[in-house]
Amino acid sequence: MAGTVFSEVIIHRASKDEALHHLRGHKGVIFSISYEPYRNTIVTTSDDRSVRIWGPNVPPAHAHNTVTYWEGIEIVCKHEVYGHLARVMRSCITNNLIVSVGEDSAICYWDFDGKLLKKALTHQNGCIWSVDSDGTSLVTGGGDSGVILHPLTIATDYCQENIIDVGVATPKKVLFTARNNLVIMDEANLIYYDVVNKNKTEHKLNHESTYKLLALSSCKQLIAVADMAGKLDVFVEKCKDEAFLLNIVDTKLQIGKILSMQWAGNRHLVLCSGDGNITVLASNNARVEVYANFVLPNCKERWLTASAIELENYRFIVGDRCGNIHVFIKGQNNPVKTFHKVHGRYGPTSISVGNNRIITTGRDGTIKYFSINGDVVKHMSNKDLAFEWVEKFLDKGENIICGFQERVFVVYNVNENSKMLEVACGGGHRSWDAVRYFKKVNENYEELIKLIYLKNSDINVVTFQLSKIVSRNVINGSHAKEINCLKSHRISNATVYITGGEDTTLRISSVDAEMNFKDEVNFKHLSSVRTLKTFSIDENHFLVLSAGGRAQLCIKDIKLTNKDNNIDVTSEELVDYLIRGTDKERKGNQTWRNCSIDFDPEMRIMDIDVINDKDGLIIFAGCSDSYVRVFTFKEDSKKVEIIKEAKYHKTCILKTKCIKILNRNILITCTTRSEVTFWNVTDITNDNFEPFFSTKTNKSGINSIATVNVSEDKVLVATGGDDNAVHTIIVEINVQNNMTSARVLHTWKSANNHSSQITGLILVDDYLVSTSIDQRITLFRWKIYEEGIDCKFLSQSHTMVSDIQGMDLLDHNCESITVCVFGKGMEVIAVPKIPE
Amino acid sequence: MGKTSKDKRDIYYRLAKEEGWRARSAFKLLQINEEHNIFKGVTRAVDLCAAPGSWSQVLTKNLRQNAANVEDVKIVAVDLQAMAALPGVIQIQGDITKLSTANAIIQEFEGMKADLVVCDGAPDVTGLHDIDEYVQSQLLLAALNITTHVLKIGGVFVAKIFRGEDISLLYSQLKQFFEYVTVSKPRSSRNSSIEAFVVCQNYQPPEGYVPNMVNPLLDHKYCDFNQFTGPNRFIVPFNACGDLSAYDSDTSYPLLLEGQTSYEYKEPVQSPINPPYKDILDKTKNMNLKST
Repeated sequence: MAGTVFSEVIIHRASKDEALHHLRGHKGVIFSISYEPYRNTIVTTSDDRSVRIWGPNVPPAHAHNTVTYWEGIEIVCKHEVYGHLARVMRSCITNNLIVSVGEDSAICYWDFDGKLLKKALTHQNGCIWSVDSDGTSLVTGGGDSGVILHPLTIATDYCQENIIDVGVATPKKVLFTARNNLVIMDEANLIYYDVVNKNKTEHKLNHESTYKLLALSSCKQLIAVADMAGKLDVFVEKCKDEAFLLNIVDTKLQIGKILSMQWAGNRHLVLCSGDGNITVLASNNARVEVYANFVLPNCKERWLTASAIELENYRFIVGDRCGNIHVFIKGQNNPVKTFHKVHGRYGPTSISVGNNRIITTGRDGTIKYFSINGDVVKHMSNKDLAFEWVEKFLDKGENIICGFQERVFVVYNVNENSKMLEVACGGGHRSWDAVRYFKKVNENYEELIKLIYLKNSDINVVTFQLSKIVSRNVINGSHAKEINCLKSHRISNATVYITGGEDTTLRISSVDAEMNFKDEVNFKHLSSVRTLKTFSIDENHFLVLSAGGRAQLCIKDIKLTNKDNNIDVTSEELVDYLIRGTDKERKGNQTWRNCSIDFDPEMRIMDIDVINDKDGLIIFAGCSDSYVRVFTFKEDSKKVEIIKEAKYHKTCILKTKCIKILNRNILITCTTRSEVTFWNVTDITNDNFEPFFSTKTNKSGINSIATVNVSEDKVLVATGGDDNAVHTIIVEINVQNNMTSARVLHTWKSANNHSSQITGLILVDDYLVSTSIDQRITLFRWKIYEEGIDCKFLSQSHTMVSDIQGMDLLDHNCESITVCVFGKGMEVIAVPKIPE
Repeated sequence: MGKTSKDKRDIYYRLAKEEGWRARSAFKLLQINEEHNIFKGVTRAVDLCAAPGSWSQVLTKNLRQNAANVEDVKIVAVDLQAMAALPGVIQIQGDITKLSTANAIIQEFEGMKADLVVCDGAPDVTGLHDIDEYVQSQLLLAALNITTHVLKIGGVFVAKIFRGEDISLLYSQLKQFFEYVTVSKPRSSRNSSIEAFVVCQNYQPPEGYVPNMVNPLLDHKYCDFNQFTGPNRFIVPFNACGDLSAYDSDTSYPLLLEGQTSYEYKEPVQSPINPPYKDILDKTKNMNLKST
C-alpha cells in the first residue's frame, strides 16, 4: 500500500504491473496508512486534516492473506472524520480504537464507526510525528523531542462516578476531611459522612444567620463553622478507629459581622470582619483566645480569600478579594509588606508557605512565587497556566495543581507542563473540593484523585486511578520549535542549559551525570526569543538577559544549587520590558475599531550584548529596524532605561558583540548587508554614539561572529554568513583620532567548507570551529604570518541537529573541544583537536 | 494580529500587493534576472509549479519586449493545482513527473523547445526542515527531469533549493547537465531562510543522454559526495543578487516608507483557490472543534 502526493492510496501486488485498488477521496497529500487485517480496516491520514477509515463494501469471503481476497474486494471509504485542526501525521489501529496524531499536538481516539471518543493535547503544542501501540499503552513522539507513554484508554474507563445520597435535601457546602470523609453543610446542620461505612452524623448548628462560613485546616482535621454574627464552632475529626467529629469549640465572638474565615496552617483561624479588622484566633488548652489583630488596608471588597502562616517567624501571609497579598507580623497592626494586584479581581485562591518560599494561586491563570530571606519577602517569578481558575495544589511538593478551565475540571503537572486530567463536570459549582491520596489496590499503592462537587443539590464524587490515565514521559521534551539561542553552565557534574526558542519560551534545563535531560523552569516571552546573554554575579549565580520579537527584553536573576544530583533553580524576574511600550501604552484605551493605523514598525530585537559599567549594566541591542539601542540596567531599582539609539545602518542588524581592547569597550555590529561596524562604547553615557570604523566581509548577511584579541591592539574577527563563507580579518585598533584610524590588516576567507549559511563560530586557542545549516562542524587552525592570516582546514564532523542556529563552547582540554550545537534540537559534540 | 501587521513584518509582502504581484516571490525572480540576465532573448519559457502565478506574471511582463510580435512570446505554466487565469500564459494542470505533461508543453511550443525553465515549487512544508529539504531535492530532480525533455541546448534553468544537509550532492548532479551552476540568494529572500536559487546556464546534457520518465533520473543515494570533507567537496559559487539599495527582507520598515506621505492597506492580489484544508473549513464553519 502506498500513499501519494496526489491524494490517493494505491494497493499493489508485487508481481503485478497493474495496481489492484486506488483509494480516492482525500484532498491532500497522504501522510500515513495503517492496516489491520483482522478487522479489514485501512486508516489513512492526510494534509487535508481528515482521517479516513476504509474497508471492503461487503464482508469478504476469503482470508486476508490470499490473492483472491485482494482481487475480489471493493474497498470503499466508510468514514471520513475530522477532529484535528491541522495536518494529521500518523494513525494506529488497536483492538478497539483508532488513534490519530497531528500537527495540532492532538491525539484523537476514534471508534471504528468514526466517532471521536476523546481528544488530548500533549507535547507542549509541538507537532506529534509518530504514534504506536502495543495494545495496552500508546507511545507518541513529538516535535518537542519528547517521547511520551500514554495509557491506552478513553478517560472514563478508569473513573468511578457516583452520586452519594446522604439524605441532605439542600447541601450548601461540601469538603473532604483528613480521612477522605465528607463534611457537608446545609441550612442548619453540619453533617459528617463516613464514606466507608456509609453512615452520617448530624451536628446541629445554632446559628442566627443563614450565611455561614466553613473552613478546614491544612491538615483537614479541624473544621471551623462560623456565621456572620460571630457564632463559632470548631470540630475535630478523630484520626484513628471509628470516624466521627468532636465539637471542641462552641463560642460566640464579639468582633462584628464576619466576612471571611480561613485557617492559617493548623492552629490559627483568621477571621475578617467589617472595616478590615482581622482577628487571628488560636486555641490554648481548649480555650479560644485572640492571638493577634491586624488591619487590612482599605480596598473595594475588604475581606480575605486566602491565609497562610510561616511558622518560623509567625508571619501571616494573607490575600484579599482585590488580589493583593499582605504580610503581617504579630504586634503590628499594618502589613509589613504588601504586594499589589498579584492576582485578579477574585483574589488569591490559595497561599502555601514552606522552604523559604510562598506560592500563591489565583483565578487569573497564574501561580506566583515569592522568596523569604530573613525579613525580606520578594516576588520572584510567575507561572502562566493554560487554564484560568487555578485553585490549589494537591501535593506537598507543590507540583500537582487543580482548577477549572471554563466547564472542565483540570489537574495539571507544573514541572512537566502537562495536563494530567480533564473532567467535563460542568463547572460553576456552588461548592467543590478535590483530594489526592494513595490507596492499596491489588497489592500496589495507587495514586488516586477524587473530585467532589454539588450539582442540582446532588453530591457528585468522581474518583480517578492515575496510573491508568496519566501519561508518562519516557524522554523529556523541551522546545517545540527551533532553539534560537543557548548558553551552557557547568555545576559540579551536571550541565545546565539556558535556551530561548521560536516557541516563545525561555527554559533552563539540566543534564545530569547519567545524561538525563530535564526542563527545570520554563518562562514565556510574548514572541520568539532570539537572543540571550548571561552576566555572572557569583559562581552559580547570574543574570539572564533575553530578548526577541515584539521588542521585548527580559532580565532574570538565576541561582543554581546542586542538591544530591538535583538541580534547584531559584529565579527572580527582574525586568519585563517592551521597548515600544505595552499595547495599552501605545494605543491607550481605544477599541480596536477606533484605532488608527500604527505606523511604527513591529521591531524585533535580533541580538544583545552586555557590559558592566560603574553604575550598572549597559545593554546593547541590535534591532530589526536597523537601530542599535543602548540601555542601562540598575539592579537596585530593577529598571531598564534607554540611554542612546543610533540608526547608522540601513538594514537589519543580525549580531552584536562587545570586546575589550586597549582598555576600551568596543561594540561590533553586523548586518544583513555584510557590514562589520565598530563603536567605541567606553564612556557611552557621555560620548556621541557613532561608529569609528566599518568594513565588509561576507557577500551576504552575517549570521555569526567570534573574536579573539591577538595582541595588545589587534583583534581577530571571524564572521560567517549566508553566503556559506567563513571570513577572518585582523583589525588593528588605534586610539588616536577618536580611533578612526583603525584598519583591517589581513583577511582570509573560504566558502569551500560549508554548503549552507554559517550560523555558529567559536575561537578557542588557535582553533576556529564553524557550524552551518548543512549540519557539519568544521575545525580550522588559524595562524598569523607577517604577510597575512591563514586558517587551515583540519577536520569535519557531522551533527543530527537540523536548522542549526548557533553553537556554544562547553569545554576544551588538550584533547578536544566540546561544543553544543542547537537548532531543531541540540547535540553536544566533542571535536578532537588535531595537534600540529 | 492586526490587518497591517503583516505589511510591517515583511516589506516584500507589502510591495507585492502594492505592485500587483500575486506573491512576494515575484521579486526574487526579478532580482535573479538583475544579476544573471536570464530573460535575455527568451521567447519560450516554462514556469513549473507555477501557482499562485507570480513568476508567470514576471515572465509575461519581461519577455514581451524580446519579440517584435507579442504573439511570438509563449509562456507555459504547469501546476498540479488549479491557478487563477493570467493573460498571456498558457496553463497546463498536470504532473511534472509525467511524460504527457512534457509532450503537452512541447506541443504548445509547436515542436520547439524552451529557452528558459523556472521552478519556484516547494513541497507543502511539513515544518520539519530536514524532511522538507529532502522532498525539495526530490521535487527539484523531478523538475530537472522534465526540463531535460523540454529545454533547448544552451538553455537556462532556475529553481528553488533548500540549502540543507545534502545540498552538495544536488549541486554535483546539476553540474552534469549545465556548464555553469551558481547559487543565488535574492535580497528579497530572508536571511534566516534556508531557501536559495540555483541558476543553471548553458544546458549541455551528457553525451548520449536520452531523457526518459520511467527511471528516476538521479537516484538520491547517500554516496561518497557527502563524505567528502573540506576542500574536496564540490562547492558551487554563491552570490547575493538584487540591487544593494533594494529593500532588505529582514528589516522592519515603518508603514510610511522614506519619501512616502501616505499609506493605504491593500488586499492580497489573489487568495488561494482550493487548498487541501478547504473541506474542513467548510465543514467546521458552524462547529467548534476545540470544545470536544
